[in-house]
Amino acid sequence: MGTCKILIVDDELIMRESLAGWLERDGHEIDTAASGEEALRKLKDTRFDILLVDIKMEGISGLDVLKQVKENDPDVAVIMITAYGSISTAIEAMKSGAYDYLLKPFDPGELGVVIEKIMEHQAQTRENLFLKEQHRDATRFESMISQSQPMQKIFDLIGDVAPTNSTVLITGETGTGKGLAAKAIHSNSPRCEGPFVVVNCGAFPEHLLESELFGYQKGAFTDAKTTKKGRLELAHGGTLFLDEIGEISMRMQIDLLRVLEDRVFYRLGGTQPIEADFRVIAATNKDLEEAIRNRTFREDLFYRLNVICFTMPPLRLRKEDIPLLAELFLRRFAQETNKQIDQISREAMDELMLYEWPGNVRELENAIERAVVVGKGRKIMPEDLPIFRPALSEPPPAGTLKEVEKRHIAGTLERNDWNIRRSAQILGIDRSTLYGKIKRYTIRKQD
Amino acid sequence: MSSSEGQSIILSPVGKVQREILDPILRAIPQAFGFCARTIALLDGVDFAFDRTRVQYHSTPILKKLAMAAPPQALKVIAVTEVDLFIPILTYVYGEAQLGGKACILSTHRLRDALSPPKNQNIYLERVVKEAIHELGHTFNLRHCQDPVCIMHYCHSIKDVDRKNDQFCRYCKVLLQDELNRLEAGLQSQSQLDHP
Repeated sequence: MGTCKILIVDDELIMRESLAGWLERDGHEIDTAASGEEALRKLKDTRFDILLVDIKMEGISGLDVLKQVKENDPDVAVIMITAYGSISTAIEAMKSGAYDYLLKPFDPGELGVVIEKIMEHQAQTRENLFLKEQHRDATRFESMISQSQPMQKIFDLIGDVAPTNSTVLITGETGTGKGLAAKAIHSNSPRCEGPFVVVNCGAFPEHLLESELFGYQKGAFTDAKTTKKGRLELAHGGTLFLDEIGEISMRMQIDLLRVLEDRVFYRLGGTQPIEADFRVIAATNKDLEEAIRNRTFREDLFYRLNVICFTMPPLRLRKEDIPLLAELFLRRFAQETNKQIDQISREAMDELMLYEWPGNVRELENAIERAVVVGKGRKIMPEDLPIFRPALSEPPPAGTLKEVEKRHIAGTLERNDWNIRRSAQILGIDRSTLYGKIKRYTIRKQD
Repeated sequence: MSSSEGQSIILSPVGKVQREILDPILRAIPQAFGFCARTIALLDGVDFAFDRTRVQYHSTPILKKLAMAAPPQALKVIAVTEVDLFIPILTYVYGEAQLGGKACILSTHRLRDALSPPKNQNIYLERVVKEAIHELGHTFNLRHCQDPVCIMHYCHSIKDVDRKNDQFCRYCKVLLQDELNRLEAGLQSQSQLDHP
């Protein structure tokens, strides 16, 4: 089992402490809240995978916490805990979207089993999202176009690095095109005729990632009906792209380090050593050096990956690329939707240029796609980009880029009643990025 | 695995604990962690942790007292008791440990389940040793391991305890060695401060 981020909400200190201590030994990251109010405050700043909520609390009850959480982010799993176990409360909690219901005190194994099931389910959801994104990325390669200075430097770097066999670590915000840069390195390398194998390390639960990477022999475990090659083996002669490397568990880090050192591994249940020749490119939007300090990432693996490192610039630092990219996306989506839209009006382009694009190129792509869908004429007009209009109708905001971005995110959240899923969709970023920005800018709900 | 001069792991019986239970633990500790082990009774009793409603002993206050009672040269302390332990959220625990801390405790109370002594005394002693090393593993910052045969695997039932080995899996060995290296480095810099 991997680990996840859990918030314990209970008004009894002793319960919070004992549960926190217990779950920490399973390796989970734990935070606690002494009331429903504190829990809701913490949820504004941080995204949790699982909430353990006591039903009976003073003030905002556990059921109210559950309802608010489910309204804002239905993907968060909530387990209700109570000493007052009545069927009616349980039914009400389940109807309101609780994942499960436990009576305290419970048997030591009970909670672990529920958490394991939730993690499997959440990992499955992430994998599905990843597969959709990967399918979409197949058509996005052309969006590596640029006329900006920062991207020209990246192109030069890619040109220098591609012919070598060195391991590359690509960092950068979500949506900046780390995957595209990895693909570009591969395509310009002597390995370009070989496979480009992508592994999204954050999309699999630990045991699945293990079998995905290493493969397995027939009979290695109950469902292993046939022998299956892992992605390490499939990458032979080509490039292995380890996306979201910062999400990998400590166990897998140990295995991966060994493979990177020896270039030899075994399939699960296998006894024959397998040698594979592949180049490794890893990417992350996490600060790995901070992860090393927090002991969640191995220093030796970091140095093994960090042979050549570069950071993809955010779109706000290369705004001169916006017209180029916007035109490109416009042509593509107009063709896909069979619509006669071939221009972006000057006013609409002004809006695109003024916006800070926290979700980077991916957010711009989403915005143009939406504009093509809702556009009526041949030109994209500002009203086809409704999300930007309120900001422009107000007096031009003064301040730094960060302040403008903060205001825009806060405005979007307020206009959407802090519905995280909807706001993230409008901003064209994923929910975890939005949570990260809410936390970074300490954006709070207006009363 | 390395050992540092003067540092040892203390095994502290709480209440009446038979010598034949303590000896296998004493032998297993150096093999697992590379530090010598010795027996010192650090607590007079654990009545202060007794809960009348549950008729069990709350392990957390025992741990706190144990850590405070530990002598300075004690790297870690493990208490062994025959009383039934609990933490408030759970019905019972086999033991509890301060993750990355100094103290841990093991209860032998439920480890006799499904056994008819003295015939199965060996199995019982194996369980005791496995769970003692497991709890001490937590004090060396090891989390629960998903490998069902690793000693750091969390056991839902006594059957799970019997199924697992008395050894760390290869992952936990690496993580333990990392922690031992960190401890070693910390002890060396402390010694340089003490004897410049």
